[in-house]
Amino acid sequence: MKKKISFVADFSSYVLKGGLKFYAWLGFLGIFVLGWAYGNYMQWTNGMIVTGLTDQVSWGLYLANFVFLVGVAAGAVTVVFPAYVYKHKALHEVTVLGEMLAIAAVVMCMLFVLNHMGRPDRLWHMMPIIGVYNWPGSMLAWDVIVLVGYLILNVTGGFYYLYKKYMQEPLNNKFYLPVIFIAIVWALSIHTVTAFLINTMPARPMWHHGMMPIRFITTAFAAGPALIIIVFTIIRNNTKLWIKDEAIDLLSQIVVWCLGIALFLTMSEIVTELYHPTEHSLGLQYLLFGHNGLTALVPWFWFSIVALIVTFILLLIPSIRKDHKKLPYICAVVFLGIWVEKGMGLMIPGSIPTPVGEFTEYYPTLIEIANCLGNWAIGFIVLTFLLKGAIGILLGEVRYASK
Amino acid sequence: MQANKQVFTSMNMKRIASASVFYALLLCACSTAMAEDTVCFESREGASKVTQKDIGEELKNVKCSDKTGGVLWWGDPYDGTQPMGEMPIEADYTHGEAVVKSRIDQLTLYPICGVACHNGTYPAPVEADAPPRQLMMHMDLVPDALDLQHGNGGIWCLDCHDAKTRNKLVDNAGNLVDFNQPQKLCGKCHGQVYRRWREGVHGKRIGEWATTGKKRWFVCTECHNPHDVQQGERKSGFAQLVPEPAPILPKGMKNADHERHSEH
Amino acid sequence: MTENEQSGVPDNEDSAAKAITRRGFVKKAGDLSVTSVLGTAALMTNSDEAEANSSWAEWFQGSYRLMSQEEKDEACTRLERRYSEEYGKDVTVDSTPAQEGVLFGYALNIQKCIGCRRCAKACVKENNQSRGDQEIEWIRVLKMEKGDFDASKMADGYPDSYGIQVGGNAYSAAGVVLEGEHYYEPEVVPEEDAFYMPMQCMQCEKPPCVKVCPVRTTFREPDGVVVVDYNWCIGCRMCIGACPYWARRFNWGEPKLPKEDMNPNTHYYGNRPRMKGVVEKCTFCMQRTRKGRYPACVEVCPVGARKFGNLLDPDSEIRNILATKKVFRLKAELNTYPKFFYYMD
Repeated sequence: MKKKISFVADFSSYVLKGGLKFYAWLGFLGIFVLGWAYGNYMQWTNGMIVTGLTDQVSWGLYLANFVFLVGVAAGAVTVVFPAYVYKHKALHEVTVLGEMLAIAAVVMCMLFVLNHMGRPDRLWHMMPIIGVYNWPGSMLAWDVIVLVGYLILNVTGGFYYLYKKYMQEPLNNKFYLPVIFIAIVWALSIHTVTAFLINTMPARPMWHHGMMPIRFITTAFAAGPALIIIVFTIIRNNTKLWIKDEAIDLLSQIVVWCLGIALFLTMSEIVTELYHPTEHSLGLQYLLFGHNGLTALVPWFWFSIVALIVTFILLLIPSIRKDHKKLPYICAVVFLGIWVEKGMGLMIPGSIPTPVGEFTEYYPTLIEIANCLGNWAIGFIVLTFLLKGAIGILLGEVRYASK
Repeated sequence: MQANKQVFTSMNMKRIASASVFYALLLCACSTAMAEDTVCFESREGASKVTQKDIGEELKNVKCSDKTGGVLWWGDPYDGTQPMGEMPIEADYTHGEAVVKSRIDQLTLYPICGVACHNGTYPAPVEADAPPRQLMMHMDLVPDALDLQHGNGGIWCLDCHDAKTRNKLVDNAGNLVDFNQPQKLCGKCHGQVYRRWREGVHGKRIGEWATTGKKRWFVCTECHNPHDVQQGERKSGFAQLVPEPAPILPKGMKNADHERHSEH
Repeated sequence: MTENEQSGVPDNEDSAAKAITRRGFVKKAGDLSVTSVLGTAALMTNSDEAEANSSWAEWFQGSYRLMSQEEKDEACTRLERRYSEEYGKDVTVDSTPAQEGVLFGYALNIQKCIGCRRCAKACVKENNQSRGDQEIEWIRVLKMEKGDFDASKMADGYPDSYGIQVGGNAYSAAGVVLEGEHYYEPEVVPEEDAFYMPMQCMQCEKPPCVKVCPVRTTFREPDGVVVVDYNWCIGCRMCIGACPYWARRFNWGEPKLPKEDMNPNTHYYGNRPRMKGVVEKCTFCMQRTRKGRYPACVEVCPVGARKFGNLLDPDSEIRNILATKKVFRLKAELNTYPKFFYYMD
């Protein structure tokens, strides 16, 4: 027990110390957290009327960010899978960093869910035994299981690994490897279940097709590694931990392949839905071309398509993909493009038109945006601390000093 | 001058004073009553008026629409009703209690039909099979008696109104029909509709949903204007109504122009 | 999960068994639940503290569906006190359960509907929805425009080279415009070139909204009505996403219900005033129908287009209509089996 307390203490004290850049970064994120505090206070007291959501478009920015971040969390598996199944040495060294990203992403997911709920004070209604847990009927019940399970797996796996490194003891692979392998499969399940959340509703024809899970997985496996590449680049440039080129190169390959499949799926959807457009493709028509003067989402869609096609082509070229100076910027565009495609390109137009044919447009309010930015900031603060501690342990700077 | 002074004796002053007080109070009562009275119509504007009043604790007899003056809600569906009366044919009203609202109470001219005018001597009685002619009276109800908006030229006034007993209707066999039971007359020509009305499929009932429940039935003339069923070119049987307001626009929408199709 | 659980029918044996596991540790303390203790204490005193305790008791109350009759009565009494206090009236919160041998059905004659929207407004008079800029209406009336086959529009269509015959109105409104209008406001209705179709909760036999609810706060009662336990709803809006008829509404803010407009005769699952962050919808006026009266929308319709009754009673108006009229259901291909039928003469 003493060792575990010492681990927590040493980890915590290590992550709280840093240079000017570190505190400037935290301070920058802190500004968004202030906005978040105000926004959440307003939403807690006044209800969701402070957002731009309506009965017509009742799933908005919060759920869009949630769906995107579940994908990012699942994308952490692109670090774990090659490391442990293909014994990729470069990624094996930094697997734990992927797990830390997964933890931070799941934390963000939970924050967005709390913001999305009309009655977060009644969250206990969803707990088994003290509440009513509608499993296996409700997809949301499934989603809670898989997300909580994923969090537990990553916390367990990640911190077990770090603790053992901290103690300079060997890993008990009989315990650790099953956790890792379950986490790999579980990662696929979290985003599949999230896809099932939206694609099992015949009321929403834009979402109601079997292609949704694979589309989610491919975009997740493009956005996740893109973010990881950016994070790894920052780690290379700002810490003593050197992540090998092979790691980044494998991740960028995963990005380009998954981006390709995602673009193929998008093309496939557009051809299928628009060859002979029916009322079921009204949502997609609205997204691509607008409807009767309502065109708010059209620029967002075309931006994301262009961004993803351009980055796909750029990443196909090995000289650009292997240029680790340009790569992070391209990855940032990929990340942004997929975020727009998931949010404005999928979650919002799913409700437009309503199942009874009413076209409306959704404009998030400032409070809603402040809450979203704040959630992201908190997620990045968590990520910063977790990565810093993990790096410290990987570098050997945090070790158990036995007396 | 002497006469004027006599007017202002103390006795007369008392009379004048009490009369003034009385009239002042009457004026107050009238104005408050007029200020508070909400009158709305149940089905047909001008033919089914009801005055809003309290009928119990926190219970109004009706709630009305601010925009159209139509009744939107009944507190007590049976308020102001009476039993349907003798109906020879078996129908839903034999399974459960049936009540109606008196039509006669809504007809402003009814008390004087057959009493003041049409009292048997003046105007001169006409034969029931007299040819249709232009009427100089009742033009607010029927602007042109020779172009009755009911039956497309097939019927005129005396086909439904009894020639002698003007406060009763008459059917094709000469039987007198009470104004409170117009269905006995209307059903003679509109048999299919009458049959469906007896089953509860045509028309309107309020009250209990059970087959054996107590219901207030709406009789024909509560919804249909017998003097203008054709409604001009519409030939519809039912007058157009002023609609209630549209729902409010959702957040983010300034107008609903995108859904107007007529411009296409 | 039993079949009964899936359809929402309260399964007494199951819920009793579950009650033992869920509240076992509290039930051991002399058959008193947390809510009973707090609730009884709150009801016995008449102070501000009682108010606070009462709202704590309300917050702690479990799912109404799984309560014993005693707990249900207590929950209703607690709500009666709160509503009466809030609205300055003698509010009753009824807990009448579903009647045996009753399955409610509804039929709407679209031949007759004139689009006057009285049904939507009557519903609001009866059911205590939020008003003003947070207005909620459970009934939505669609106007379907007919359009015309105008000679000037005959050439609108695909170019000849596509192999598709040019002519007719490929794009113009003609026949029936597929997109219904929601915000029509003409001088009088019915308009010449339109017919109307009101929509509300279809009270499906296989409701998609019930299946997706993570806390089973919305479920189908034995008399066929799909209800929402407003005190149990967590506001996740999965049900709003799943409903193919856009029948459900959400209280985005604290509802704005003026005292004078409040209808004090309420039912726990029906028209009692809701709170912010919960979903609501048509309940076939449960506070009326479980006491034998027609829903408000049925009563107000000036053209008698709305019919309601017991589907299990072969002599009822609704069964008559199903037997003799041309009846259809909306989005029947989705297998929701609505109990709200449309018909034509």
